[in-house]
Amino acid sequence: MRNHASAWRDFVQGRTGFTFARASLYGFFVLAVVSWLYILVGADSGFGDLLSSRAWNNAGGFLRQLLGLEDGLTGEGRPAFLQLDRWGETGRLAYETLMMSVLAIGLAGLGVLLTFLPAARNVSNGELGGRPSAVMGAIYHVLRIFFAFTRAVPELVWAMVIVFFLSPGILPGAIALALHNYGIVGKLSAEVVENMDPGPARALRSAGAGNLQMLAYGIIPQSMPHFLTYLLYRWEVVIRTTVVVGFVSAGGLGREFRLSLSFFQYTDVALIILWYLILVLGVDLISAFLRRMVRTG
Amino acid sequence: MIWTGNPKIRSLARFFEARWFLSIVLVGVFLWSLTGVDWNGSIVHSGGGSSFKDFSLGLFPPELSPGFMKLAIIASWQTVVHAVAGMTLAVIIGLPLGVVASGSLGNPSRSRLAIAVVVRFVLAFMRSIHELVWAVLFVAAFGLSSLAAVMAIAVPYAGMLGRIYSEVLNDVPEGPLDGLRSAGGSSFSVLVYGRMPMAITDMLSYSFYRFECAIRAAAIMSFVGIRGLGFEIQLSLNDLLFGEVWTLLFFLFGLVLLVDYWSTRVRRSLDS
Amino acid sequence: MRLTNDIAGQESNCSNAEAPLVDGRGIGKSFGTLMALAPLDISIGAGERVALAGPSGSGKSTLLYLLAGLVPPDRGELILDSQPVAGLQPGKELSEAVGLIQQQLDLVPQLPVIQNVLAGRLGQWGILRSLASLFSARERKSVEVVLSRLGVADKIDEPTSHLSGGEQQRVAIARLMIQAPKVLLADEPVSSLDPARAEEILRLLTGLVADTGGAMVASLHSPDLIREHFTRVIGLRHGILQFDIPARELTSTVLEALYDLDREPED
Repeated sequence: MRNHASAWRDFVQGRTGFTFARASLYGFFVLAVVSWLYILVGADSGFGDLLSSRAWNNAGGFLRQLLGLEDGLTGEGRPAFLQLDRWGETGRLAYETLMMSVLAIGLAGLGVLLTFLPAARNVSNGELGGRPSAVMGAIYHVLRIFFAFTRAVPELVWAMVIVFFLSPGILPGAIALALHNYGIVGKLSAEVVENMDPGPARALRSAGAGNLQMLAYGIIPQSMPHFLTYLLYRWEVVIRTTVVVGFVSAGGLGREFRLSLSFFQYTDVALIILWYLILVLGVDLISAFLRRMVRTG
Repeated sequence: MIWTGNPKIRSLARFFEARWFLSIVLVGVFLWSLTGVDWNGSIVHSGGGSSFKDFSLGLFPPELSPGFMKLAIIASWQTVVHAVAGMTLAVIIGLPLGVVASGSLGNPSRSRLAIAVVVRFVLAFMRSIHELVWAVLFVAAFGLSSLAAVMAIAVPYAGMLGRIYSEVLNDVPEGPLDGLRSAGGSSFSVLVYGRMPMAITDMLSYSFYRFECAIRAAAIMSFVGIRGLGFEIQLSLNDLLFGEVWTLLFFLFGLVLLVDYWSTRVRRSLDS
Repeated sequence: MRLTNDIAGQESNCSNAEAPLVDGRGIGKSFGTLMALAPLDISIGAGERVALAGPSGSGKSTLLYLLAGLVPPDRGELILDSQPVAGLQPGKELSEAVGLIQQQLDLVPQLPVIQNVLAGRLGQWGILRSLASLFSARERKSVEVVLSRLGVADKIDEPTSHLSGGEQQRVAIARLMIQAPKVLLADEPVSSLDPARAEEILRLLTGLVADTGGAMVASLHSPDLIREHFTRVIGLRHGILQFDIPARELTSTVLEALYDLDREPED
């Protein structure tokens, strides 16, 4: 390894190999300066408020109301998070939110299972067996573009669109989340197949396996652990996003969050945030446990 | 492995420890989640079917008039601007927090480790809350403005960056660091001359990856009234102008693709 | 080169009268501009155990892949079990003719041992039976028998990745035993093993060949092992055939010349 004091100097002075990265860093720096100028100069940026004590007083008031230290406009008396029945009511919504996240991940996983194999270049062009065909090549490209498109659009935007045709509830939100995560997990799973060690598949061939048998005995068992791991990681992200999607799709904690905010019931907001953190922690723990089970085969 | 003589018990035991059991449980959980949907009510609301048809037809062709394209480009720019501002703040906040959380600043001591643990919790809290939830909170606190959007991206992303930065700094090989220490370096110089150069490529790599996510985050800040692609999509949806919606979706797609491509090239150049 | 009647290796079949199991005439293979294997003739009859010797890159693996029917020869004709290799259906027919064990073993790590072993049957099973077997293994008994012969019967349901390297090698051999091809091919089966283990593995393989009355081709480096377990040895260097002699005629000088680092490749 190089001497690292000189490595640092080299990097700053530009004598290292990664020219494109360095150029990008400078480019990003320029972009950052321009962006900040655009924001600060623009009207209504809000940053001027940081200097005013009024804004900080408002913020402080908001925080105090959140913590139940100060009564808001509604003058509710006891903060929501100290009332047991409120815990129960919000808990039911948390349960609904949990369901929505599981439904979303399940739908995404189902979609990926059905389509990740043709989306792998070495399956569709026949490297792993079979003859390349124009149809399979076309399917490969269509799927990859579909992955990229569903991935690029944020879940909330999908939700906004879907709510136009489906009634509010947990389903539109779940589908929106499923679409976005389908693109992510689909691309990753197809890449797993593309990067896979061809040895075992080849050995199965020489043992006499045909294409379908090779998929079933070789490719799918090797890609399943990765697929499940990605899916479980995404579940952790989905549970955080489910609340947000609920703003639009009117399901679970999200809807209640929005309502409580608009009615200035800030201690309810705090209670919802607490349940939200419980959900997030719970899902993180379960996901870690399941991922460990997957890893040890 | 239960190795009994009775083949019936053996096969039962095998059934439970097999991966099949896990799969059945997972399928069962998925089916449970389906029960949460109100299948009795109308899934597709009245007019939903025709809306879907209109929406699908809006793709052929999407809105391509020069006036609208100009609007879409401006909206894209606004999205980029907020994403970049949020990212820069995220790095400015996340880097020092990450350094402290890695425990590599200052001399080894119990208090330093305790502070590191506290900072880790803070970072975890920051990133547990979704950027839009932060946005709503910031708007409630400071009012509707770019500040809310930028902070709403900066805070959770600082949490994510800080956590990765601290892990990368810790994963650095100890050998060269020992060399610096024995050459008489103070712990600060070990950090700057030793850890940082070895860690910086991974840190840059992850930061550029996060930037792509920041674009998406900025797009949905429309929800708190920040102009950008999300805002325009909302407007066009409300006016039922589905051709416009598709155009904006494609702009979003293109923007994300562009940043993704840039980010991938940067990471490839760093790996070499 | 002719069929060699090596009495030491002769099994019960009268391999004299039968057509050779492997008959290659002028088979060669190039990858782009690199000639991995210069055209050569090779003929192997039932009961023969052929060792392939030569330094790395001499074409041993390429020859084994050609004999396994995994890659088609660029030149020449290869006839396996009286059928041209191109005409052999990949699947049932090919897997009954030849079977290959690689140095990296190439088992599927996530599958339990029993499934990896039963993969040897895939050439005979249709797609439905193969899929059904993934859920509930058929022919469990025969797998148990084979695994106990190899001393790893207790691992039958373990995920294969949990086994040690030596145990995994036995699983690979078990798969071959289930597949029971006429010609057994092995790419460096003992190169990373200590002498005692190497002995054991070679004894298992030669026993398998004796049971089926087929033939074996394996690449390895040790002259002692070659002389003890094989009937014939073929030397390759830079893709060119150097010699094809009965195993007992192999001397250390011949082998040294084969591996000599200083010699230039001959044309």
